[in-house]
Amino acid sequence: MEFGLKPLGRERFWLWFLLFPTLFGLIFSAFGSLLATIGLSLTKWDLLTAPKWAGVSNYIDIFTDEKFLKALGNTAKFSAMYVPGVVIISLLVAVLMNRKIRGVGLFRTAYYLPAVTSAVATALVWNMIYGKDTGFLNYLLESLHLQPVCWLCTNNAMGSVVIVNIWGAIGEGMIIFLAGLTAIPHEYYEASTMDGANRIQQFFKITLPLITPSIFFQTLMATINAFQAYDYIYMLTRINQGDSTVPVVVFSIYRNAWFFSNYGGASAQAIELTLIVALLMVFYFWMEKRFVVYE
Amino acid sequence: MKKILFSTAMIVILLLSACGAKSGSGKTEISMMMWGDPAELDVWNQIVTDFKTTNPDITVKVEVSDWDSYWTKLKTLLAANTPPDIFAIDAPYYLDYQSKDTLLSLQSYIDAAPTIFDGVYPQTLQAYQTPDGYFGIPRDFQTIVLFYNKDMFDAANLSYPTTEWTWEDLRTAALALTKDNNGDGKTDQYGYTFDMWDMEPGWSEAIWSYGGDIISADHTKTLIGSPEARQAWQLLYDMTFVDKSVPDANTSGQYGQDLFMAGVAAMMPMGHWAVPAYSEANFKWDVAPMPAGPAGRFTSVNSAGFVIAKGSKQPDAAWQFLKFVLSTSAQTRLAELGFACPVLKSVAESAVFLQQATPINHQVFLDALEYSHIKPVFRGYDEWASAVGDGMGAVWRGEAELNPTLDAVVLAADEVLAQYK
Repeated sequence: MEFGLKPLGRERFWLWFLLFPTLFGLIFSAFGSLLATIGLSLTKWDLLTAPKWAGVSNYIDIFTDEKFLKALGNTAKFSAMYVPGVVIISLLVAVLMNRKIRGVGLFRTAYYLPAVTSAVATALVWNMIYGKDTGFLNYLLESLHLQPVCWLCTNNAMGSVVIVNIWGAIGEGMIIFLAGLTAIPHEYYEASTMDGANRIQQFFKITLPLITPSIFFQTLMATINAFQAYDYIYMLTRINQGDSTVPVVVFSIYRNAWFFSNYGGASAQAIELTLIVALLMVFYFWMEKRFVVYE
Repeated sequence: MKKILFSTAMIVILLLSACGAKSGSGKTEISMMMWGDPAELDVWNQIVTDFKTTNPDITVKVEVSDWDSYWTKLKTLLAANTPPDIFAIDAPYYLDYQSKDTLLSLQSYIDAAPTIFDGVYPQTLQAYQTPDGYFGIPRDFQTIVLFYNKDMFDAANLSYPTTEWTWEDLRTAALALTKDNNGDGKTDQYGYTFDMWDMEPGWSEAIWSYGGDIISADHTKTLIGSPEARQAWQLLYDMTFVDKSVPDANTSGQYGQDLFMAGVAAMMPMGHWAVPAYSEANFKWDVAPMPAGPAGRFTSVNSAGFVIAKGSKQPDAAWQFLKFVLSTSAQTRLAELGFACPVLKSVAESAVFLQQATPINHQVFLDALEYSHIKPVFRGYDEWASAVGDGMGAVWRGEAELNPTLDAVVLAADEVLAQYK
């Protein structure tokens, strides 16, 4: 993927000058805290007294920690539903929004709105929508003479938070796909229309192959986001000041670090999560070579 | 290029001023951190101003955060060895901080000022006493009483809760107050609700009233599974799942946790901290003592206090301020604020507290001290409370049976205690 212009002379100075704040932040905050987390994951630390060296015991402990394994399972289940959901739905929305229709700007804004709205505030609204006796969804179901559902009860909570998270992510996915869609030359569609291809054939034979770079990128981002999902889950499923009915790994990290004085264990869980995401990324890039089409 | 020079200069100046903020002034500046809301910050700033009139050399910088972020912020500052000089503490967490050597012993200061606790309610001091002396002082206290919605009692033609009430009376009234107003088969109004996770405005009162206890005196055994405690659990369980006069956890979740303020529940155990918010409720309400059980009438008392960080560079100035917190002037300001009950008896029993703007029977909160147990204070409280609260959660969501869950919860809670021995 080597393209673009090479900066020269004065430009090079400006390039580094403008990149400096970001690089500075990356090196000192991201890499710095990553290194610190690796270090802390090898200790027992309650934040209040000096950390004690613990070797790899935190890493061994997390494999027998039932709560962590449950959280890991939940994160896996969540991702398995969330990633395809976000990719497919935001692609469909982007295709719909990529036409010359009246008020398309308004629709695009509406789809993007969740991305710029506070998750805490929207979660409160979703809590009202999901209400067992008072919620809007069950009101709808009942007026259609269907059985009401306890959306946030333990059995259904996972599905319900996946829906909210997908809803929150469609906007960003749509932007990525819209950019990809606009890059496809019109000639391809015109030529295929002449050859008698219908819209569905066009979507599968032209749009889909040519948009694989965006699909790849969006799958990657959605996977990372899925493993970090936390805010809606915290807001919708937390029991008072305690656990969540669908605890995920990030929730487990939060509670271990700040409530159970187990900063070392929490760090080990964070590193474990990072490793899983990194492995998935390796797999994705291997898939990229086989399936992604660059023009 | 000029612009770059200018902005570089600005950055350098900013960095320098950030580093040098503390030195120079010649006066003593101490920092204080607490949880609370903006109204509380205003009052504390007033208290600081009052303090300055007698201690012109000491400036106190107050910082207020909401409850959740307060504790993460505090722990981060302590971990970084840059704690505030004074910070607020909730009694149940006190021993965790004290046992980890983060707090300054106040004993020598107290020995030098032996009258400092004169006129302070002894129940509020209890939590701060350790075998090694005091490491903190209480600033205010919270007793749990029964809040009730007068409008709902009037509509149901019931007489208000009295000082004679038992848990059985509460159960009967709760049932009578549970209503399906529009006949759609769903309850619109519940008789009673309580915090199903936290013992304080939740279930500790019932356990004590039935003769049970929460934790053994040496903090090694969880006692909430005793036969007496089980009677209390059974009562709350039956009210929730047999009478259905208490909403289960899945039902209460949809009202954003506070069903009393939402006008959905007629009665709820609560502390004085809720009074300022409830004063804006669009219904009439008052408070009554918690009901009595077979073993008598019991409620919970908890006190918030202040401690001085061991790493404080200005411990003497910090102590001057702590002493001032217990003065009539500061306690009066706290009483006017209306969140909590002052620990100074003379202020609590004065018109400032008893005749606050919110016209309810404030005396009930003071009388409650007579029959209250302190909310247990022990090491590992957070993790223990999570083992109990999370474990019982399955019962309150209607997913698990009461007695087997209690057995499992007691085991898990005892495991936590063993870890902190």
